[in-house]
Parts: sequence; C-alpha cells; structure tokens
Amino acid sequence: MQKEEFSRICRDLSSGSNHALSGVLLPAVKEHLALHNKKKLPVIWLETNDSGDNNIAFMNTTYPYLDRVFTEMIDLLYSNTFMAAQGRNALNILEQIPGIYKGKFTLVVEGAVPVKDNGVYNIIARTETRFITALEAVTRLGGLAEYVVAVGTCASFGGPSAARPNLTGSAGVRDVLEREVINVSGCPVNPDWFVGTLAHLLMYGRPDLDRSGRPTLFYGFTVHRHCQRRSYFDNKDFAMKLGDIECMFSLGCMGPRTGADCPYRQWINHVSWPVKANTPCIGCTNEDFPDGSSPFFTPMPEKSQDQGGGKNVSGQRGD
Amino acid sequence: MGKQRIMFSPVTRLSGLLSVDVTVENGRVTEANAGGTMFRGFEWIMRDRHVTDAVYMTQRICGICSMAHGAAASYLLDELYDNELAENAQYLRNIMFAADFLQNHIRHFYFFSLPDFVKMPEHPPFHGQNLIDARLNPEDNRRLAGHYFEAVKAAQESHQILALFGGKAPHQHSFVHGGVAAAPTADKVEQALALIGNISEFVKGRMVPDTEMIARVYSDYFRIGITPRQFLSFGLFRFGAKNEKFLWRSGVLVDSQLYPPRLELISEDITSSWFDKTGAVEIKPDPLKLGAYTWVKSVRYAGRYFQVGPLARMIINGFYKGGTATMDRIYARTMETLLLTELAREWLKNLKPGPPPIYQKSTPVKKEVTAVTDAMRGALLHAALIEDEKVVRYNIITPTVWNFSPKDGHGGRGPLESALVGTGIPNQDMLFTILGRTIRSFDPCISCATHLLDRKGSVKAETVF
Repeated sequence: MQKEEFSRICRDLSSGSNHALSGVLLPAVKEHLALHNKKKLPVIWLETNDSGDNNIAFMNTTYPYLDRVFTEMIDLLYSNTFMAAQGRNALNILEQIPGIYKGKFTLVVEGAVPVKDNGVYNIIARTETRFITALEAVTRLGGLAEYVVAVGTCASFGGPSAARPNLTGSAGVRDVLEREVINVSGCPVNPDWFVGTLAHLLMYGRPDLDRSGRPTLFYGFTVHRHCQRRSYFDNKDFAMKLGDIECMFSLGCMGPRTGADCPYRQWINHVSWPVKANTPCIGCTNEDFPDGSSPFFTPMPEKSQDQGGGKNVSGQRGD
Repeated sequence: MGKQRIMFSPVTRLSGLLSVDVTVENGRVTEANAGGTMFRGFEWIMRDRHVTDAVYMTQRICGICSMAHGAAASYLLDELYDNELAENAQYLRNIMFAADFLQNHIRHFYFFSLPDFVKMPEHPPFHGQNLIDARLNPEDNRRLAGHYFEAVKAAQESHQILALFGGKAPHQHSFVHGGVAAAPTADKVEQALALIGNISEFVKGRMVPDTEMIARVYSDYFRIGITPRQFLSFGLFRFGAKNEKFLWRSGVLVDSQLYPPRLELISEDITSSWFDKTGAVEIKPDPLKLGAYTWVKSVRYAGRYFQVGPLARMIINGFYKGGTATMDRIYARTMETLLLTELAREWLKNLKPGPPPIYQKSTPVKKEVTAVTDAMRGALLHAALIEDEKVVRYNIITPTVWNFSPKDGHGGRGPLESALVGTGIPNQDMLFTILGRTIRSFDPCISCATHLLDRKGSVKAETVF
C-alpha cells in the first residue's frame, strides 16, 4: 500500500459500523511488515503531569483492539500503566532500553513537563539516593529517540496541567526538547489519532504535520467544517439551551477554530461526539486549551481573552 | 537479616506516579512511606473560572474516574442553582456513572491486579514480570492470562455505553448540572442494553470465577494487608428531584457502629506532605520540605483515619461480611462489579425514551456548596465558594487521599501504610510481589490524590464516637 492510499483510507474509512478503517489497516500493516521485514515499533511511554486519560483513551481503541496493538504493532517496552515489571525491575528496563534501541525507539510522552524548580513537581521514579524527574527523563530519552510523540493536549501544549496559574511551570514536550515533536493532541486523545499516528510511523515514518506539529490526517480541518449542525450555523439558527438541536455557537462551541475530525470519526467505537450529545465542542485539541476555551458555555467572541494564558491561538486550515 | 531500606519505585500498573519507601527488619515490614510524586494544583486552576466550567474542568483531574468528578461537580451545581432533576435524568446519570465504574473495575482487576497473581506471556508490555510467587497451575494460568485480552473488549464496551449518552469518554460531556443533555432515544437504549449484556456475560463468566480462583489459591491474602476496621462512604447513586435519595447508603463505620457522616469533622494535616503553611494565609507547595515524602495530605475524620472504596461500600451496605485484608478489597471490588451490571440493566429498562432530561436554572441561590458522592475508589468531596458565579475557592478531597494519607503530626498511619507495616517478607526477592498486591488492592489513583486542599478543623475522636 502506498502512503497516499494509506492517507486516503484514514480519511475516508473513519465512520460506519464495525469500523472499516482498522479492518483495512491491520492486514495492510502486517503485509507491509512482512514485505519490508520490519519489526514492530519499539515504544517507551512516559507518564508525566496529566490525568492518565490518554492511556485510558488508548485502551478504548477498537479495530485494532488493544491486544492486537500489543501483539502486532508495537513493542511497549516501558509504560507505568501497562508493564508487568515493577519497582527496581521496571527502572532497570528504563535504564537499559535506550542503549539497546538508541535511535530506533519512539518516545511517547503522556502529560506536560513541569520545569519550575528543576522539575521536582513530577518524579517518575526514585532510587534510594535520588529523584528522577519527568524533565530529566524526557530530556534524556528525547535525545535518543527516533521519534517523539506527545499524546494528549498536556504533552502537546501544556493543556489543563499548564492552565493558569500554572504553579508547576508545566510545559508541552516541544518546549523542553530541541527537536521535532509529533503532537497528537486532544483531551483525551481519540485513540484513532494516536494508533493511526503510530501506524504511520511504523509504515512510512513521519506523517505530514500542521503548524501545531499535528498530523494533518486527523487535525487538518476544523470541527466546524464537518459538523452535522453546520446548516443551522449557515442559517443563523442557534440553540438556546443544552439539549436543543440547533447550532451551539451560541452556547460556546469552539468548533470554528478547533482542528479535529470528531464530527465524522466520533468516539469509543465511533458512536458519538460532544455535539451529537447536545453539548458544545470545547476545543480540547487546541494549543490554548483550556484557558482559551473558557468559560466553556460563553460564545467565542465573549470568552475571556485576558485569561487566555498568553499562549498562541492556533489557526486551522479550512473554514 | 538486619534493617534494610528498599525503595519500591515506580509502583507500576496504577493511575499516576507512586513510590513507596519500605523498611524491612528481620523479614517484616516495619515502616512504609507512600509517596505520590506528581503535583498539578487543580484547586488553584479552578479559581476565577466560571463555576459551570467545573464539570468539564474537574473531570480533567482523573482519566480513569472522570465521571465521578463530573458527577460531584454536577451535584454541587444542582444545589448551587437549585435545579430540579427529572426521574429520567437520574436514571441516565446513574447508568453513565455505573458504566464508568464498570470500566474502572474491569481494567483494575485485569490490567493492574491480575499480573500480580498470573504469569503473563513473555512479550512487551509483560517482559521482566518477575512474579516470584506464581501459584496457578499452567492450564488455569493460561486461561486467566487469556482473560486479560477479553477484558480489553468488556472495558471498552463499558466506555461505549458512557459515550453513547455522554459524547465521549473519558471526560464525557452530557452529564452536567440540571440533568443530562443527551436524549435517551430508543435506539441508544437498545444499543446500551446489548452492550451491558456482553459486559454482564464477561463479569459473570470470567471476572467472578477468576476472582474466586485467585482468592482460593492465594487465600493467605485474606490475612495479609489488614487495616483497622474503620470505613467511610459518602453514598452512591442519587435519585429524587434534589438528589436527596441514595441507592447505596453513606456511613462512617467505627468500633462496629455506623454513624452518618458529618462533613465538618473532616480535617487535614500536612506534616509529611510537600506543603507549607508557616506564616502564610493559605497553604502553598513546598517541594523541598524536610521530612516530607508525598504530595498527598493526611485526611482524617474526627481525628481518625478511614478506609474508603468498594470494600467500605460493600461492608457499610451489609453486602459483604468479610475482613479488611488485601483479598477482601479485591473480592469486594468484583462483587460490586457484578451488582453494577445488574443495576445498569435495570435502570436502562426503567428509562423512558424521550427528549433530553435537562433543565438548568441560571441564577445561583447559594454562595457556598459542598457536594459528596462515592467514586470508584471511595469517598469524593467537592466544595466551592463563589462570587458572581466565579470560583473563589474550590476544594477537592479524593478517595486516594483517604487511603494514601501519609503520617500525621502524631505519627499515625493511614490505611495503606498500616496495611503494609507488619507484612512478612520471607525473602527479599518477593518484596515487590507481596507489597505490590496489597498496594494495588486499594486501586490507587495518584493523579487524583495530589491536590491542594485547605480545610480547617481538628476534632478529637472522643468527642464524636
């Protein structure tokens, strides 16, 4: 399968029952691996300052389900959430892997990285004599990895962990490393965006990225562009309250400046998404989430500009 | 064997980051300091925000129990705005809440706890398992390890029920103040019933017998990891127009007596936590504080520590008559999972297909509200003080704070630390295996636990019980 075809499949086969995307994708990945004699993608996953929602989102992947991701796509070498090893045995793995897989592994970071006070607000492990901060681990492993993937909005841009007043000086991984970071944002990430990015890395290497460093495959168009309620917006027919069927721009919807394919991909085996549940999109994939989206139920022009945390407001392709 | 200090770090297979500093003397644990090593300061993040943002914002505290924070914040706002809840709203809310419980309990048992008892296949992420004390025969072991992979789908289907009505998961959207924004249409109810059927089959056919087998083969864990018999629950599953009825009762169980919880008796202590209050009006983080070892604070009720979680709920409600050890906690969680599959099905059948059951009032009738519920791991409290609908102060006490309380000013131990101290370690290679089982039996969530709170009050036990 050529890269263009892969991209087309990711875009086109994102809805419908029994989700066709992965049904097509997995055999293709297998075939590709057999053909090119590649191994699975070696992955080191560091959890830093976040809520752990992205590893839960990852567990929700369907077609491929989690077990097939583990057995057919990636070798998850270190993960605080999943690994059977514990204590010193787990730490030994973390210390040894980079040497063995130098330049070959993908570093996945889940969570923002606190930089204030040398990063003491997030310690990924301790020994009898010292703390290993997230800042130290991300910096060291980030320098040795083939790819660095920031999963979720905290890891990508700081997210809720860096929301004002940001006591811990939390920052996105790209602000800590002097190298390219692939941002797979979302609060949490949609598992398709993440598993799809891993599949792309495995088969074709780096995907095309937008200005925020995100795969255009998934973030290239605004929620607004593909929203099922777009016709209401165009007719200036707005919802008065939650539960109404009209456009929720009036209730704070961030769809017009949020890049994500939620309207047609949807969530958890592709059954629904916030607008379908009669609630506004809160722009959780954005660089300035959550401060730039709040108050969540206030229309975009009236949201509190002065509380936006001073971060860039991302612009997306499309209208 | 003399005195030895061993750093159990990282304690993997849980939510968040945990290290436990263990002292072993003559084959027995004599001290354990459990350290939550991440801090975000969510109560500070909540300040100055519009109070109706609380449901979506506080869900970001925790990925594995987001619905619990969403529920607590919704109950809080219901009282603040004096909302009236429709019966359909309560059924729908409880179905969504139960779906997140099912997700949590299934994932905890299979992804986090099972590798403590079952030899997993030798490929990532199970490499280096080092399970010293594996006791299942090869055939049973193979079968239970296989159920790990069946659990993948059952847990995903649990979240699918939540997303059917909530739009997504974690961090659902429709369970907000005033009710539920999504409509319980007949097609969604039918889909949810089909999903709960699958989950129920899994729980009955796999999780319950698997738990029973592990409880039988590792029956010594009914005598390991024992805690004092002091339990607390804020109650679970609300009904009534004002959220005034509970399905499962609240209670404080101490000295074999059950009391209704009185929130004014909750107090905190920061002796062992990385916080400072000297000279300051309010607590502030102090990561270099000497003698401190965790971001978790000590929280007590009437001056005593209380264990929270499924075991507390099952005992307080009279569903479980067992003890307070590691295997009791595991057993009670599975028991609760089974009850929840039955309740969710019943509630789905009681739902009347119709329009979105939501009516939000827009003017607050109060300035200060405290809302409580039980979450997956136990008692959860949200409290807000507002001014012009903006948050002045937002306090959160999560279940893991109760269970993972560090030592207070008098050296008293919280439930986890008291469960670890006294544990026999026949040989040092077994330390992680043995203690890991007990630590995970509490289903720790450190991303939840490490928050600022500032509740005043210090009440002596004698005055209450």
